[in-house]
Amino acid sequence: MILVNYLAAAALLSIGLYAVLTRRNMIKMVMGLSLMEAATYLFMISLAYRSGSTAPVLLSPPPGQTEHSLVHGNVADPVLQNFCLTAVVIGVAVTAVFLSVVVRIAQHYRTLDSDRVRELRG
Amino acid sequence: MSPAEPGPRAEAREHEPTHRRWVGAALAAGLAVALGAAMAGLPSDHAALPAVARYAMNVALPRWGLTEPVNEIVYGTRGFDTFGETFLLLAAVVSVILITRSKEPRRGYFGESAAGARERRRTDPAAPADASEQAARAAERREQDEPGPGDRAGPATPDAVPLGTPAPETAEAMTVVTRTAIRMALPVLAVAGLYLAAWGYSPGGGFPGGAVLTGVLLLVYAAFGRRRVARVIRPGLLEGIELGGATAIIVTELLGLILRGSFSANWLPLAAPGTILSGGIAQLFSASELIEVGTGLAITIFALIGMGHDWTPDERDSGREGGS
Amino acid sequence: MTIAALSSLLPLPVAIPLAGAVTAPLLARASSRLAVIVSLLAMAGSAAILLIEAPAVFGGRVIAQYLGNWRPAGGHVLGVTFAADPFGLLVALAAALIGAILLLYTLSELGGLGHRELGGYACLFQLLIAAVIGAALTADLFNLFVWFEVAALSSYGLAGFFLERPIALEAAFKVLVLTTLASFSVFVGAGLEYARHGALSFAQLHHALAGHAGPADAIALGLLIAGFATKAGLAPFHGWLADVHTAAPGPVNALFSALMDALGVVAIVRLVFQVYGVHGLPVLGLLMALGLGSALLGGIMALAQDDLKRLLAYDTISQVGIVVIGFATGNSAGVAGGVYHLVNHAAFKALLFLAAGAVLHRTGRTRLSELGGLARRMPVATAAFVLGALSIAGIPPLNGYVSLSLIHSGLQQDHETIPYVLTLAAQVITAAALGRAAWLGFFRPRRGEYEWQERVRPGMLTALVSLGAGCIAFGAFGPEVLRRLMAPAAAGLLHPGRYASAVLAGSGRLPALAVPFDYGSPAELISVGLSVLVAAALAWLYLRIREPLPVRVLRAAHTGSANDYAGYAIAGTLLVIAALRFA
Repeated sequence: MILVNYLAAAALLSIGLYAVLTRRNMIKMVMGLSLMEAATYLFMISLAYRSGSTAPVLLSPPPGQTEHSLVHGNVADPVLQNFCLTAVVIGVAVTAVFLSVVVRIAQHYRTLDSDRVRELRG
Repeated sequence: MSPAEPGPRAEAREHEPTHRRWVGAALAAGLAVALGAAMAGLPSDHAALPAVARYAMNVALPRWGLTEPVNEIVYGTRGFDTFGETFLLLAAVVSVILITRSKEPRRGYFGESAAGARERRRTDPAAPADASEQAARAAERREQDEPGPGDRAGPATPDAVPLGTPAPETAEAMTVVTRTAIRMALPVLAVAGLYLAAWGYSPGGGFPGGAVLTGVLLLVYAAFGRRRVARVIRPGLLEGIELGGATAIIVTELLGLILRGSFSANWLPLAAPGTILSGGIAQLFSASELIEVGTGLAITIFALIGMGHDWTPDERDSGREGGS
Repeated sequence: MTIAALSSLLPLPVAIPLAGAVTAPLLARASSRLAVIVSLLAMAGSAAILLIEAPAVFGGRVIAQYLGNWRPAGGHVLGVTFAADPFGLLVALAAALIGAILLLYTLSELGGLGHRELGGYACLFQLLIAAVIGAALTADLFNLFVWFEVAALSSYGLAGFFLERPIALEAAFKVLVLTTLASFSVFVGAGLEYARHGALSFAQLHHALAGHAGPADAIALGLLIAGFATKAGLAPFHGWLADVHTAAPGPVNALFSALMDALGVVAIVRLVFQVYGVHGLPVLGLLMALGLGSALLGGIMALAQDDLKRLLAYDTISQVGIVVIGFATGNSAGVAGGVYHLVNHAAFKALLFLAAGAVLHRTGRTRLSELGGLARRMPVATAAFVLGALSIAGIPPLNGYVSLSLIHSGLQQDHETIPYVLTLAAQVITAAALGRAAWLGFFRPRRGEYEWQERVRPGMLTALVSLGAGCIAFGAFGPEVLRRLMAPAAAGLLHPGRYASAVLAGSGRLPALAVPFDYGSPAELISVGLSVLVAAALAWLYLRIREPLPVRVLRAAHTGSANDYAGYAIAGTLLVIAALRFA
């Protein structure tokens, strides 16, 4: 738990959300979502931290520690790091699909303004 | 609906209706407050590691022979999550392929096409492209090896262009400095990517290895132009390789069921930790992941770059419907 | 077969469609129809394995499989658990069978698509169904999130399938924005829960949470419910649903409405009933509010639509609302009714969307004002549409009657008069909307001819007949189905402690649940008759008057802008969190 990181993650999430809610340019909306994504990564990794911990890696332990002492010692949480790996892959995948959809919309509607791409309403 | 729109570049300066700004700020602030309240209930950084995390640390060396517990979680105990994630990436790549596809002949009457033609007549503005958009389209066509009647073939590298030529740059490759630097860096980067997948901290760097190899391809594309890359980026071949990687992952997990009685169980003998074959199926899984991620990302990027204008009436043929 | 053998087979219903998905694009290069046929076989294989599991599980048992040859250590579970309880198996079986029917329909109606198109379509179709089956069978929070994402990414490609329609891409953009926000919500909620309790498995979380859920847990539950409600299509998270259904191919509409919404509902129900438990937080009241809001909003918007598929999409929102109302009663009749209505909705909504898809595919027309006279020209599609509409109206002996009367008796048991009256109102409005659609689209005489006439193909006929037969069978044999399928499912949901201990032990038995149901209850029959009459009158009236004010206001609120829909979703998230935290 690192207080500054948590506050930063919450702030970044809000800024990204503001971009998604108010910006009309579709690329800016995608950028806002990417920013929210990065904020969730920061949040997850900060959740994994423990005070005074080292990385959960058993190869070449830091001086004064053996592999056995690391297994029972103060390490950061590896499970949340697994979460984050999965989320990074999801982020890449979604951004790729997003951008191809935006290009196709621009080909049809000839604009990137989401207020002009409103054929379906009501 | 709206009358003929000017092109994207002539869009009015962004100015949102005021209510959206206030409502957006209020909602974003509300979410920050809610998250802050949740964070107040989180354990402090002196709390003990959860029992499941300690379990992961305990089993990494004895049961899986891996010196990195994170890899043990990703490819071992929670390998089923990574299995699902593989297909997540596959879904994304197939979605991108579908969205960026070109028109194919269809048999039979498709009411959706007739509906689409009517909607395009109503929605797609009939404005012709202005000069800068026509230049962009010409560059795109040169890029995709289909120069139109009015396009001149650009110079191969900017070194051949005389100094003082006005923008934009139309050369296919980059300058000799960039090309030489990338030629030097490419082998190092390629080996680094393969190293990440093969060893890293321990076997299991499939994802970042795949991403690095895609980066290598991108550098070749940026420095040398599309012709050099087109020999490698053949969509049919890459798609086949990617699906082969995904099949290998299914087979790896299924063999766990057939040989050891539980899906995604380890069925390979464990080599000594720190060697290239340690971790049992973790290395196999990671290698298949490398193939799938590398080819998948490459397909995605080059599909985006190679997207055509099949589905909209092209401005060169304005007045003729681009097919229904 | 022994329980151990049965449990080791559990991941196969997910793995077989995934294998089919991987081979589909390669087979499509040879022959596009071959790809769809192999997909059909994969779906059938998956259904076969689920049927092998069915007798043991529906007999009142939970079967758990620990994927990867580990065992829980002192109640702590690191790995992924798959647990087949009757509820999950029912949804998975429905997904596999309806998926097979939809692929059969695709083979006949959309078989003329190009090779790459059809290969990609079959691949994404199977990925989505595999994700629904995986989400129904999983007992792990992060695994649920992974399958949710697989379903989401498959849905993006399927939503924007017909690239010649600009609205398909517009709809794909909106579903991308809203579902991505939902996925962040679920991700952060899951991370919060892990950080607080160190648990990912539902069983372990249940033991950590049940009865003593703190304020941070309430916020995490709010985030999780908001995220899954977006997938389910509950108001106010529903902005994407109508747009996506307007533009997607017919079978894809059926897939989204019948099965993908079920994924969202299954996730919410598992979290509320089996992980958090209904006694700590005021979550049943929240679900009732969400359900009533969706039911009414869906019905009112459906009444006003001109586009046939969009009308059916708003009806989906309404029906999912009614399903959630059933679950929100918390008693055995209501919960059994909710499960029953979820399965029924899959059947009759698929029927309706296949009929609408056939209309669009053959005539090229989407708007009710441009359609008409289809009763004479397309009798099969008309019969399918009418059967679906009658099921939704709740007319005996069709399936809607059984599930709706179960939900009504659940509401009456708890003396919840206002929700009961509102539910009836939503049903009446929905029935009126469908009646209006049937008149304008199918029975109203039309003078001009359509551009194209085509005969019915055997694949389409088989698909429609099997779904119709399902609707009739689940209605006529209502009490049997209730006793054998729905009551065990409700038992699993209402006894979360037994579920959790069964998952930790590897298998376990659930107590038998008796759900009283009076098929020919006079009160119910009278209320059905009255509501049909009022609905017919409302439809007749609506054809003549101008749009009333509430409808105009609601339609104006649906601006069609992704920013506004995202705003509604975030406002809904904050309201859900506030309700759970402060109520």
